[in-house]
Amino acid sequence: MANGVYEMMRGLWQTFRSAWTKPVTIQYPEVKRQVSKRYRGRHALKRYANGLEKCIGCSLCAAACPADAIFVEASEQTDENRYSPGERYASTYEINYLRCIFCGLCEDACPTEAIVLEDNYELSFETRESAIYTKDMLLDAVSAPNQPTPRKVKPGSFNRSVPEMKDPVD
Amino acid sequence: MPETKHGDKFIVPIGPQHPALKEPGHFEFTVDGETVTGASVRLGFVHRGIEKAAEERTYIQDLYLLERICGICSHVHAMAFALGVEKLAGVTVPERAQAIRVLVAEMERIHSHLLWLGVAAHEAGFDTLFMYAWRDREKVMDLLEQLCGNRVNYSINVLGGVKEDVNDVIRDGILSAMDYLETRTVLYLKLVTTERTLIGRTRGIGIMEKQTAARLGTVGPTARASGLERDIRLEAPYAAYLQYPARIVTEQTGDLEARFIVRVKELYESFRLIRGILSTLPGGELTTKMPRRIPEGETISRVEAPRGELFYYIKSNGSDKPDRVKVRTPSINNFASVMATAVGHKLADIPMILSGIDPCFSCNDRMVSIRGSEGQQAVDWEELRLYGIEYYR
Ligand code: SF4
Ligand code: SF4
Repeated sequence: MANGVYEMMRGLWQTFRSAWTKPVTIQYPEVKRQVSKRYRGRHALKRYANGLEKCIGCSLCAAACPADAIFVEASEQTDENRYSPGERYASTYEINYLRCIFCGLCEDACPTEAIVLEDNYELSFETRESAIYTKDMLLDAVSAPNQPTPRKVKPGSFNRSVPEMKDPVD
Repeated sequence: MPETKHGDKFIVPIGPQHPALKEPGHFEFTVDGETVTGASVRLGFVHRGIEKAAEERTYIQDLYLLERICGICSHVHAMAFALGVEKLAGVTVPERAQAIRVLVAEMERIHSHLLWLGVAAHEAGFDTLFMYAWRDREKVMDLLEQLCGNRVNYSINVLGGVKEDVNDVIRDGILSAMDYLETRTVLYLKLVTTERTLIGRTRGIGIMEKQTAARLGTVGPTARASGLERDIRLEAPYAAYLQYPARIVTEQTGDLEARFIVRVKELYESFRLIRGILSTLPGGELTTKMPRRIPEGETISRVEAPRGELFYYIKSNGSDKPDRVKVRTPSINNFASVMATAVGHKLADIPMILSGIDPCFSCNDRMVSIRGSEGQQAVDWEELRLYGIEYYR
């Protein structure tokens, strides 16, 4: 009996002490956790420094995807109406986030490093349709001095669709 | 599964959807008063057709798909598949990659065992331990995120190696977390062997003799708690377990307490292995070249998952897609032991006995056989796909 009371007090002492320590939990959504650099969250379609889209609509990501989550449709482009380097650009680019398993294989498959899994993990939907992200939702915004795509460029300056690249660091 | 005749006894059905179960499974317990006199289980509620789906995809895609069989021990699935395919292709994987695979596998074991410790403590009504164990598990999860990119489904394996490297920052992070976790594990071992409220729920409950454990084909910590020396890491060392041998942890009593002790002591083993790997991590490449088409042949590959032996059978027909992939997960081996040991216990002990094997339902559900002639239906992959699209339109 006395032993039981002692153990109970000891347990309560632990509770009392813990009330003064800093909690390990985070007040989400006010405070957000920093994810690691290698984190695989929602995709983003990247642009070159000059503002052109990296994606050339080659569909390699869609072919690689184990979950059939990507749908790409490519169209021809001209120097009058240029989206990306090369002959073709992705006129439709959709990712179905109900199918995507965030494996990152699309990232590995892409020849131009156009599709990147970034750190956004806040993906929730109310309908099945709203789980399909279209190209406008995925594409990065164009940064200040550059003009939005499509734009008119000097003829013959962007013929090569796949740039020279180094191995990524992290 | 051993089924018992019910007669006119009182049957308590539990599941498939039940607030006390974390995953769907259906149990029927025949009770006499409060004592269980018979038990049967029905599985298959979370069947996803993943083996069939694997036949329709290339080896590289399958790696990611099969990793999603289990949300807790995902790395071992990818590793088992990768090891099997590499064996078929006759490719030697660089040593550094093998060591990193083992590193991640051991970190996964820590996270899985801590998760189990929390769940089992919760079932026993000891929620403080549940919170402690899960808080400490976060350390490993964060490290795994730093190393591999995600907290679960790490995707660190590729055919022919691993994707990500261990750098100095990550290594120091892992080492300091191991020191912290080791001090915590001392506390856990003390708790599971001395805390009266917990011992009241575990000591002498769900005893499984060594012979029974062997006869029912149990694997992993469940078998080792009954004194069976079964560990694939030692029996058939794979990846880098030859260079970093594991030591087996066994207990003789075979009750729930022994299963607690075995799993907690295995944490020490994992800390030791991780330290060993990080101190002598071999240099060199991370990947080697893999052919896209895998030569014709068949192979098996076995790895020790946190719950026991994981078994893969892979058959190749010479193309870039496997002919057949068969997966046998450890939980299915251990389920028979629940049914066997439940008899004679109070109904209130059943959740503890069930969680004692660390069951994972979604791992189990590989194949369903449709009994009877009515309702029998065969659909191929394309039909199923179209049906799915139509259904959700
Ligand atoms: S992350 Fe994986 S599943 Fe998702 S779109 Fe890319 S390849 Fe497909
Ligand atoms: S994202 Fe990359 S792989 Fe996919 S279509 Fe665009 S360029 Fe091709």
